Amino acid sequence: MFVLFSVVLLGYVAFQSSIEIQRVQARDVSWEIRQLRNLERQRGPRALAVAVQRLSNQPGRGIYYLGNPAGEMIAGNFRSIPSDILLEPGQYSFSYSPQLAFEGLIQNTPQDRENSLRDQRKAQAVVRSILLPSGFRLVVGRDIVQRRDFTRIIVRTMALGVGGIILFSAIAGMLTARRVLARIDTINATSKKIMSGNLSERVPVTKRDDEFDQLANGLNDMLDRIEKLMQGLKEVTDNIAHDLKTPLTRLRNRAEAALREGRTGEDHKQALETTIAESDQLISTFNALLLIARVEAGGHADALSKVDVSKAVLDVCDLYGPVVEDAGGQIEMDIESGIFLQSNRELLSQALVNLLENSIKYALGTSDKTSTTGISNSENKSIKDGGEKILVSVRQTPEEIRISVCDFGPGIPALERKRVLERFVRLEKSRTETGSGLGLALVSAVAKLHKGNFEILQNSAANQSNQEKGSGVCAIISLPKNF
Amino acid sequence: MKILLIEDDREAATYLIQALDEAGHVAHHAADGETGFAMASGMDYDVLIIDRMLPRRDGISIIESLRAEDNQTPVLILSALGEVEDRVTGLRSGGDDYLAKPYAFSELLARIEVLSRRASPAEASTIYQVGDLSLNRLSRAVIRGEEKISLQPREYRLLEFLMKYSGQVVTRTMLLENVWDYHFDPQTNVIDVHMSRLRAKIDRGQKTQLLQTIRGAGYMIRA
Repeated sequence: MFVLFSVVLLGYVAFQSSIEIQRVQARDVSWEIRQLRNLERQRGPRALAVAVQRLSNQPGRGIYYLGNPAGEMIAGNFRSIPSDILLEPGQYSFSYSPQLAFEGLIQNTPQDRENSLRDQRKAQAVVRSILLPSGFRLVVGRDIVQRRDFTRIIVRTMALGVGGIILFSAIAGMLTARRVLARIDTINATSKKIMSGNLSERVPVTKRDDEFDQLANGLNDMLDRIEKLMQGLKEVTDNIAHDLKTPLTRLRNRAEAALREGRTGEDHKQALETTIAESDQLISTFNALLLIARVEAGGHADALSKVDVSKAVLDVCDLYGPVVEDAGGQIEMDIESGIFLQSNRELLSQALVNLLENSIKYALGTSDKTSTTGISNSENKSIKDGGEKILVSVRQTPEEIRISVCDFGPGIPALERKRVLERFVRLEKSRTETGSGLGLALVSAVAKLHKGNFEILQNSAANQSNQEKGSGVCAIISLPKNF
Repeated sequence: MKILLIEDDREAATYLIQALDEAGHVAHHAADGETGFAMASGMDYDVLIIDRMLPRRDGISIIESLRAEDNQTPVLILSALGEVEDRVTGLRSGGDDYLAKPYAFSELLARIEVLSRRASPAEASTIYQVGDLSLNRLSRAVIRGEEKISLQPREYRLLEFLMKYSGQVVTRTMLLENVWDYHFDPQTNVIDVHMSRLRAKIDRGQKTQLLQTIRGAGYMIRA
């Protein structure tokens, strides 16, 4: 490409030069004619003849001819001027044989002779012929061969130039390629190491900060992410192994026991029903684990859309309001309306549901949801006047949205509080507890998906309002508006 | 009801066919996508149950082709993928309902019965009537006998859904999906609490109890 461009450029230069030379030649010829004509007018034909002869004897490719009115040549270096040129003044171009034309008229230098021999085949002259007032005919011209010589020089230079350019390009290309290949090799080597199992390997980054470093940085970021995902995957696999094997074993034991000591059909039915209930629990644990894993892996990150957070929270409160009332409490809402966020309604709702269920379970002191046979809520309220409440609030600052669920239950001591959070964030230690123990882990994962934060604090409002239990916790999800 | 089950897992299919048979339906089985598609487009079924991942041709493509042929038979998609996006893809391809594996048979049965009903035009009526309970979908008035019953908006939607499919079992999950638009299962049984409130408003003091709890399945409203 580059070479092609150079050739075109040089060709253009040569072409332009050739045109320029032609112009210069034409100008010279005109000038000489003007001078010679002046000379003739001032000093007569004799002086003209001398001048023409002098010019003729100069080396170069000037063509001169001076003829008397009778048509005989009296001075000049060009014998065989075609007769029509002599008769009719004007500009002409004709080919001739230099050997014949110049024979005996100029002192040939060896160089000239060589040139003449080469030009023997054909030569091209451009001449101007005029008729002087005195009846003499003057012809002045230039041989185009001179121009051709120049063109040849240009072409030769050009060829040299192009050659140089090609050579230079080749060398530069080779050097660049070598450098590029060397760096690709390092990346290759790193990827081989990674493929052989060393996930912590990273592509070296130089200080140059060029495209390769950017590539290396990109690759390293990707590797970081992959490594994290792999760790997450391993964690999840371990968890699944533990979480599912335990209840599966239990399930199996129960089935075995039923088979062994099963007496009546009723016993069998009982055992089967327990089995189904337990497998349902297993499925829901499994689903929760999968969901957390997917959320933590950012599986939902690209499926976020604009969600009316206020409305989503209201909906969950609407769903759980009756449950809380049946449990002897009340949901108090402090929800700023019209708060929107790039989010996932389903996940956000589920996180909130988990928090509410925790509050119901631990703060309202009852998780007995089977009492569905209708304790009317008015009765309920009159019994537990000013009953325990759960405060759900959604507030926004210019930077973030805070969703909090506060209860006024027994609370969690400061030390324990941290431990609870840790324990649930790191799934491991919750295994021995009842329940799947994954509720807060999901909340945490959802907060992380939004690049937000999830924490459990002491409910400060509870201390002030001097409730009988005097404490309680606030679970707070803070989600940045722009992430 | 004539049902076609397209499912590659032989054991699951055998169990399902048998269970559907016991429930009084005629169920055919296709073990791969191509056979399933040929059967579905060649015969007149009331409901198609299509597994998402099938050999030779996947479930989504079967549904799309059927819909392109203007075959509007209701389709229930079965899938091991329970994520919201998978559900959306499934429904967008032309499926009518989506059930994630593993599922309870009662759930599946309730859903296909509702689906077959969905295909009939009767449900578009303005007034739903069950016994002496009527619900006017335009004025949103609910009347039991002579007495007007005032319901919360959510309770109204709950009742509307139940009455739309009166005489059929509606599961808790279906209610959660259709009335609240949630696709997860809460640990506590929130639906039961809402149902007991609704029941208190509708059936309290009445001789016939319209709202019935179907053990191990869900709820049904029936005269």
